[in-house]
Amino acid sequence: MNRYFFYNFILVSFINLMLYVPHILMADRYRGAVQSLIIGAVIGTILLYLYTGALARYPGKGLPEILKMHLPKWISNSLISFFTFMWLYATSLAIIAFAIMINRFFNPDVHVSLILAMLVLACGYAATRSSLTVMFVIEIGLIVNAPIILFVLFKAGSNPHLNWDAIRVIANYVTKAPTLASTAAASFIFTGYINMSLFNRLMPPNSRFRHRWIYPLMGFVILLITFFVPIGIHGTETVGNYIYIWSITADSLLMQYGFIERVLFLFLIVYLNLTLVFTMSGWHQAMEFVKSMISNHKPEIDSEKTPLSNYVIVGVFIALTFVYLLLTNEKLNMLISTYWLIFRMFVEILLVIGIFILSRRRPRSA
Amino acid sequence: MRNVFCCVILLVTVCFLGGCGFKDIDKRFFVVATGIDKTDNEQKPYRITLQLALPSPKIEPGASKAQLETIDASSIAEGVRMLKSHVDKELDFGHCKIFLVGEELARSDYSGMLQWMRRRRDIQSVADIAVAKPDAQALLGVKPVSERYPGNTLFLSFGADGTDSPYTYVQPLSEFSKRAFEKGLDPLLPIIIPDSKESYIINRTALLNKNKIIMVLSPEETQLFAQLAESYPKSSVRGTYEDTQVVAAVSDIRSKYRMTTQGAKTVIAFKVKMSVVLEDAPENLYKQEWASIEKKLSEDYSRQAEELLRKIQQAGVDPFGFGLRYRANHHSNNPNEAYEKWLPIYPGADFKVNAKVNIEGTGLIQ
Amino acid sequence: MNERIRLMFAEAVDMKLEELSNGEMTIQVAYIAPMCEEKMIADFIFVPFAKREQPYREQLRTIVEYKVADDVAKWRDLLLRGNALIEADGIVYSLYAARIICNESPQTQVESAIQGPQLALSEDLTKSLNLIRSMYQSADLSVEEHTIGSVSKTPIMVVFDQRRVDPTILDNVRTKITTIHVEMVNAAGELDKLLIGKRKHLFPTVLITERPDRISKAIAKGKVVILMKSSMFAIILPATFFDFMHAVEDHYEAFWMTRFLIFLRYTSILLTITLPALYISIVSYNPELFRVQLAFSIAGSRSAVPYPSFIEVFIMLFMIETLIEASIRLPRYIGSTATTVGGLILGQAAQQAGLVSSIMIIVTSVVAIANFVIPVSSLSFAVRFLKYPLIIIAIFFGISGVAVGVFVYITYLCNLRSFGKPYFRIFGRLQPTEGDIGQVKLK
Repeated sequence: MNRYFFYNFILVSFINLMLYVPHILMADRYRGAVQSLIIGAVIGTILLYLYTGALARYPGKGLPEILKMHLPKWISNSLISFFTFMWLYATSLAIIAFAIMINRFFNPDVHVSLILAMLVLACGYAATRSSLTVMFVIEIGLIVNAPIILFVLFKAGSNPHLNWDAIRVIANYVTKAPTLASTAAASFIFTGYINMSLFNRLMPPNSRFRHRWIYPLMGFVILLITFFVPIGIHGTETVGNYIYIWSITADSLLMQYGFIERVLFLFLIVYLNLTLVFTMSGWHQAMEFVKSMISNHKPEIDSEKTPLSNYVIVGVFIALTFVYLLLTNEKLNMLISTYWLIFRMFVEILLVIGIFILSRRRPRSA
Repeated sequence: MRNVFCCVILLVTVCFLGGCGFKDIDKRFFVVATGIDKTDNEQKPYRITLQLALPSPKIEPGASKAQLETIDASSIAEGVRMLKSHVDKELDFGHCKIFLVGEELARSDYSGMLQWMRRRRDIQSVADIAVAKPDAQALLGVKPVSERYPGNTLFLSFGADGTDSPYTYVQPLSEFSKRAFEKGLDPLLPIIIPDSKESYIINRTALLNKNKIIMVLSPEETQLFAQLAESYPKSSVRGTYEDTQVVAAVSDIRSKYRMTTQGAKTVIAFKVKMSVVLEDAPENLYKQEWASIEKKLSEDYSRQAEELLRKIQQAGVDPFGFGLRYRANHHSNNPNEAYEKWLPIYPGADFKVNAKVNIEGTGLIQ
Repeated sequence: MNERIRLMFAEAVDMKLEELSNGEMTIQVAYIAPMCEEKMIADFIFVPFAKREQPYREQLRTIVEYKVADDVAKWRDLLLRGNALIEADGIVYSLYAARIICNESPQTQVESAIQGPQLALSEDLTKSLNLIRSMYQSADLSVEEHTIGSVSKTPIMVVFDQRRVDPTILDNVRTKITTIHVEMVNAAGELDKLLIGKRKHLFPTVLITERPDRISKAIAKGKVVILMKSSMFAIILPATFFDFMHAVEDHYEAFWMTRFLIFLRYTSILLTITLPALYISIVSYNPELFRVQLAFSIAGSRSAVPYPSFIEVFIMLFMIETLIEASIRLPRYIGSTATTVGGLILGQAAQQAGLVSSIMIIVTSVVAIANFVIPVSSLSFAVRFLKYPLIIIAIFFGISGVAVGVFVYITYLCNLRSFGKPYFRIFGRLQPTEGDIGQVKLK
């Protein structure tokens, strides 16, 4: 079922706007961000091909099962707990960033932690459902929201105030050597394949990943729009001092004849939905990873009753998210997320290459 | 028992949340226009005037009622906060689409005001900014007869919903702040003058550098600028032919420029192509050869345009973005290098305008 | 025999226990008079027995309608179902002579279609089966009989196409039916609740219908249909959310118009759920979402209203919900009075009295009208509740709360299963070479 892979890919590439990716790229716009875009796209594409190629040999098996098959238990368990942390961190970061955003634009008088409480309860409920349910929610969420995001992107791209000279000025800095932070940020857009680590469990035995060339192409187009359209709209200098660059870009657009005039609100609501879907999927995966470490655990994709362990694990996630919110602030959050993006890139490279080698050592017919 | 427990939890939560940011629409005062002037008082340099809408259930021409509140303060943010104690409802900037800058303030330094506007979350990036002459307070006192609700006349004059005047150059906040910081592109603002007690005139444009007004364009020059910079249709061209005045309505216009270096000199060559319909022309023109009129009109147009460009150049501002184009064409390793190279080039640059007027018809009569 | 029957039943005047003798032989006859067709009993028993044209002993042996009923334990059931028992020469025969009172070939009332079959299912099982069989003429149509209810002993029929049906669903249904332990089942809705087994649910997960065309389509799709005696509604399972949004007419009318209607229905369901909550969140949290004209006119018309927006919403929703409830329960002749009083007088007066704003009147009517667009009434009923939780969350969190609430609803829907099949899922076209997700059961 190719389309489910497609949803995961698109979800992650859209969500990049929430994870400070544009901000990191903008900060490096004179210092090699443009080349980083290209390098990031190349890295992302290679990883995508390797990982899907490897997973195709393990139909119906998630990452924990694959690791358990090849590695001693203590290695696989420590690896899995590490991945759990990676997934949990990304999604909690996104949901906290969005809670702050809602506090800025929608409800300035409500305390951030209250907004976060509402968001995490909804995500927690969704994440404890079965894998199959989570997949269906991702599908519906994208089918409803993706057209609106494409509309906003199109609206931004066709803005009369888009200044091509500014875009050209920045594009000329393609000669600068890429930086680590912006390469990591750029490659994040392609990282949707990593969600298959868990959702590969759902794949039927005869599934194949077809039309794989579409993904790098789409990812690269989204990357270019993410980076260059704000530059065209805000100019080469102003673009650097906005924190929520895409929210401001959406606010610069006007739907003259729309029911809602300001694109900003449309944009925020759509991104709220996407962030919820993203957090749900991330927490669900982290939860399943934790469960897979229990020695006699049998993975289930569509259990009739929600096991109690789901609630316990997600409850811990919720608590951790709150602790994180209390310990950090906006500035620290951004800094940590930059380091996390870099860290993530290296971990993913190692993971993908590792799994790829394991899969080649396995006979094809097994 | 369980239900009672749930009810208690719910009640506690409700009490805890009670009224966070909940404020009904009729308990809010909508600011429809904000005026910012400069005072003579050194201690309190800013005079803030807010036009507050008094909503009424009936919307009829002339039924608009508004309240003006004025205060002098040391900073804009403080002034707005102090104004809250003057009114009985919560001030809401969500519908403030018009910001008027007093001429005196615009002639001294606008950067403090701009920073305040960009920082406030509830001020839309699509709000329009204009210079008020002689000052914003007086202008906000004007009450147009036809106004259906407060602030509408000003808003309609700017938006594409209302009049399309070639003499009105609209400048939303996002565009203004882009130009205010961009290297090689300077801001410009429309100027509003009260006509009488009941109407406004908006037909001049102020050209600014990075902190104040440098020069003011006359209505004709404003139109010419709009044609050259934005390819603005729905405008007109004028010239003389055999000692009679010819006025033609532009139906289609394409304006572009190239920047070339000829020896030590930089030449900026405009190419303007337009199709016009004659509106005011000598009689019996229909039977004559149009080519000669076209040629004469083109020559007149080129001359007027070159004059305008030189005038702007001599004032030392760059609303066209020649500097940005130079930066786009000349790559440099350091973001400032190209711009610094450009600064001495601009005053010596040469302008050439090659206009090509094509007459489509003579209107309904011969 | 008659003595034993007398012991089995309580004192009842309608219980007929006769002993006849024509000289040649003596028979005992027992039947419950209101349950049986008197004419049939006379034609089959009394007349031939008295006339003696053919030996009655012979008749009992040759005519298939007389069935031997040896088992004493079954006598009671046979009598209750409208059989007459005859004892001749020590052998007990039963004769099916039930009189079934039912509505005669009724017209569709609940789900009407302008074009398309106008006949609805009958309360008599044989007539309903007749309709279904004549629409679905296939040798693969399989009909199973079961009984539900320890007191009511309601006969139900499970109808399906044996080649197309999903065996897992069929097993599931069979086990569910055999494990149901209740005394009485009177309506299809009751059976539906017993089959689902969940006590608290927001959405209907099986489809209840009266239309034979909908049933035959469902059978062709491999679904299982349950018919029930003395109920003119059948249960179709499994059902998906999209089945509920689908009217039979969508197959009969012009293509683009029906697509548009489907789109209209989804828009309406979204509006009817979210509009009151959106009104609160926009009026009380983010008035900048409106156009400025609208904001001023709402502010103007609300300035006379003394209560916060959510009280206003509750007043109007209370009025509209009671109005709907009243007009359903009232007899048809008085029903129109209720609508007139409610719609015209209250709506206008509430606004003039400054109790609600004029926009709120529009919001309320959109909510009510959009709710009636949903073609299947069980979903339309369920959806009526959904707006209230959203209103509560909108009071505290405004528009972001509404978005989160809708997300939770969607998750809930995706999580629902109807007899093991996903309830809310876009199926799309599957590649025949590839499987569907979630097919493999992990070991």
